[in-house]
Order: sequence, then C-alpha cells, then structure tokens
Amino acid sequence: MAERRAGAAVLLAAFLLLSCCSVRLVPVAEAVWLTIPSSGTKCVSEEIQSNVVVLADYYIVDDEHAHLHTPTISSRVTSPYGNNLHHNENVTHGQFAFTTSEAGNYLACFWIGGKHQEDVGLTIGLDWKIGIAAKDWESVAKKEKLQGMELELMKLEGAVQAIHDNLKYLKNREEEMREVSEKTNARVAWSSLMSLGVCIVVSVLQLWHLRRYFERKKLI
Amino acid sequence: METRPRYATLLLLIGLVLTSSPAPASSLSVTVNDVECVYEYVLYEGDTVSGNFVVVDHDIFWSSDHPGIDFTVTSPGGNVVQTLKGTSGEKFDFKAPRSGMYKFCFHNPYSTPETVSFQIHAGHIPNEHDLAKDEHLDPINVKIAELREALESVTLEQKYLKARESRHRHTNESTRKRVIYYTVAEYLLLACVSTLQVVYIRRLFSKSVGYNRV
Repeated sequence: MAERRAGAAVLLAAFLLLSCCSVRLVPVAEAVWLTIPSSGTKCVSEEIQSNVVVLADYYIVDDEHAHLHTPTISSRVTSPYGNNLHHNENVTHGQFAFTTSEAGNYLACFWIGGKHQEDVGLTIGLDWKIGIAAKDWESVAKKEKLQGMELELMKLEGAVQAIHDNLKYLKNREEEMREVSEKTNARVAWSSLMSLGVCIVVSVLQLWHLRRYFERKKLI
Repeated sequence: METRPRYATLLLLIGLVLTSSPAPASSLSVTVNDVECVYEYVLYEGDTVSGNFVVVDHDIFWSSDHPGIDFTVTSPGGNVVQTLKGTSGEKFDFKAPRSGMYKFCFHNPYSTPETVSFQIHAGHIPNEHDLAKDEHLDPINVKIAELREALESVTLEQKYLKARESRHRHTNESTRKRVIYYTVAEYLLLACVSTLQVVYIRRLFSKSVGYNRV
C-alpha cells in the first residue's frame, strides 16, 4: 500500500518534470533572452550560407509588468537582398522557418507593437537554430525506428558531418581571401613604382617647360 | 506490482530527457551602441559555460582601429563571474557556480556602433553522483555526453574561426579600397603641386611684378 502511494508520488513528480521540460514554464537552455527598448527596434543578424535551414521561435518572457498591460511584439525577417521573409504584428509568441536561398546577412528585427503604457522595455526569448541544430530528430527517429542510444549516436554523426562541411567552407573562404591579399600586394607594389615614375616624369616636364620659357624670354 | 514497470519506464524517460537535452550553441550578431545584454539560462550547477565573441569590423576609413569592447558575465546572484576589457574578440569559459539566468553584457565605450557576433553554450555532463542516484542512467550515457560536449566545443571553435575570417575579410576589402583611393589621390596631388610650382615660377619672372627682381 505504501509502495503504491510512493510509486504514485514519483509518477506525479516525473510527469510534472516532463511537462515542465516540454512547455516553456522553465526556459530550456537553447533560448537566448534579449531586451527590446520601449521605443525603437532590436535587431539580431547572422551571416548564413545558402541552402541552410533556419528555424526560430520567439516569445515574451513573463515579467512583473505583464499584469499591468498585455504586451505584444512585432517582428520582421529580411534576407540579404532585402526580401521580406516573415512579418508578424502584435503577437505574444511566434515562429518562422525558411531555407536560405542566398548567402549573406539575415536580419531579424523585433519591436513593441501596439500601444504600451509604460516606458519600460520588454524581454523576449529567442530560440534561433540553423543547420544541423534545426534538424527534426523526432521524425527521423520515428521513420527509422531508432531509440535511445542509436538516436544519440545518429545525432553525433550529424554533428561530425556538419563540422566536416564547415571545415570545407572555411578552406574555400581562406583560399578566396588569399587571392584578394595577393592581388592587393601586387597592386601596392605596382602603384609605388608607378608613383615614382609619375614623380620623375612630372619633374622632367617641369624642367623642360621652364627652360623653354626662360629661353623664350631671353633670360638664359 | 504493476506500478513497478510504469515507474521504471518513466524514470528511463526522465533519464533520456536529462541526458539528451541538447542545449546547442546559439550564435547571433547584435549591434552594440552603448550596452547590450543577453541572457542565457544554465540548467545545472557545475555546468561548463563556454562561448566566444568577435567584433566584426565596421567601416573605418581614415582613423585607426577601434580599441575594442568590454565584456562582463553576471551570475544570477548578482556577482560578476568574468570580465574582459578592451578586446576585439575572445573566447571565454567558466564553470557555473549555480544554476539560473546568467547575464552576458557587452559595453562599447565609444560612440561608433559596433557589431558583435557572439555564441554561448552551456553544456552538461552527468557525473558519477547522478549515476549513483539513478540506476537507469547507463555509464555509456556519460561517455556519449562527453563526446557531444567535445563536438560542441569543436563547432564553437569553427564558428569563432568563421567570425574571425569574416572580420579579416572586411579588413582586406577596406585595405584594397584604401589602396586604390590613396594612389589616385596621390597622383592628383602630385600633378596639382607641380602645376602650382610652374605657375609660381612663371609669375616671378613676369614683367608686371618687378623688372629686376630675379
């Protein structure tokens, strides 16, 4: 009897713990909190390559002022070429997902929407995941019927693959930058020789012109 | 008797949730005008919080490089865990003295706004104490957690290198543009100065100024 009661208590505690982890009562360690000023926008950006999955989730964090007025936030996400990828007005939470088509700086801006009585800022939580971190492991696990250890090892394999791809990308970038550096080096060398040449030519022209002038004026 | 297997499966689920809480590194860039603070939640006491930040170069053309920004980490208790001053990009890591909301602040002492690209990662490895408490936590889960943390640290380092490379690229582009502008300006200046010299000397010899001046 006591065993059953203890078991039920443990079950209840376990259920509460699991529900806390899944619902955002206890913030999960992935999210970052930002403060939005009372007027103006707060923008975050990231330089992303093309063909990368971006998954983001934003929500207002409950603070002491929440009971005084219902705050809402608006958001806008723009691609590096200026296309509007996501626009949402006056919500308490939202999410957006897209696959990048061009490489560049992606900008996500947040501002306080609607009227706000007080002159205080607002704290929002932003959960921004790109690439391998945005992969939906639950659906992969269900499709391939993996569980526990196998799923963990698959996640590790995905992380290693992402590291390998990043390394190749860094190698390519370094190569490009080396070319630009070499070109700049050649350009500097060429331009200093050229300026010496221009100097000599200009002084010779000066001397020639002045000599002609003095001979004309019969001073020499 | 039937509560025993339910108890076992639920504990196993808890074990899986605890060991598989991913906590990947969040990587973002913010523009720092004066002070910008970012908060990150650390789940367990004793977790290693690691991260890095790089000041991505802004368009400086004539002046020298920006002296850098200050970085402060404040624990949920209010005391400062780590401070870095006047740096343009650095890695940091510390062991969290307690769980809670940590504040990471960037302070820009000058008026030119700077864009800072930062990453923060809070990693948890279950240790022998957790192993002893919960018999369904396999020792292999500890090894997998260690592997995952090692891979996360490699990923963090790679993203740091990527941000540094981006800053280097900005500097390179700015140098290339400056070389072209300085060269053209130098030639124009040279031509101007030589013309002025010739004009001045001609004026010295002109009749209207003075006959026997020279």
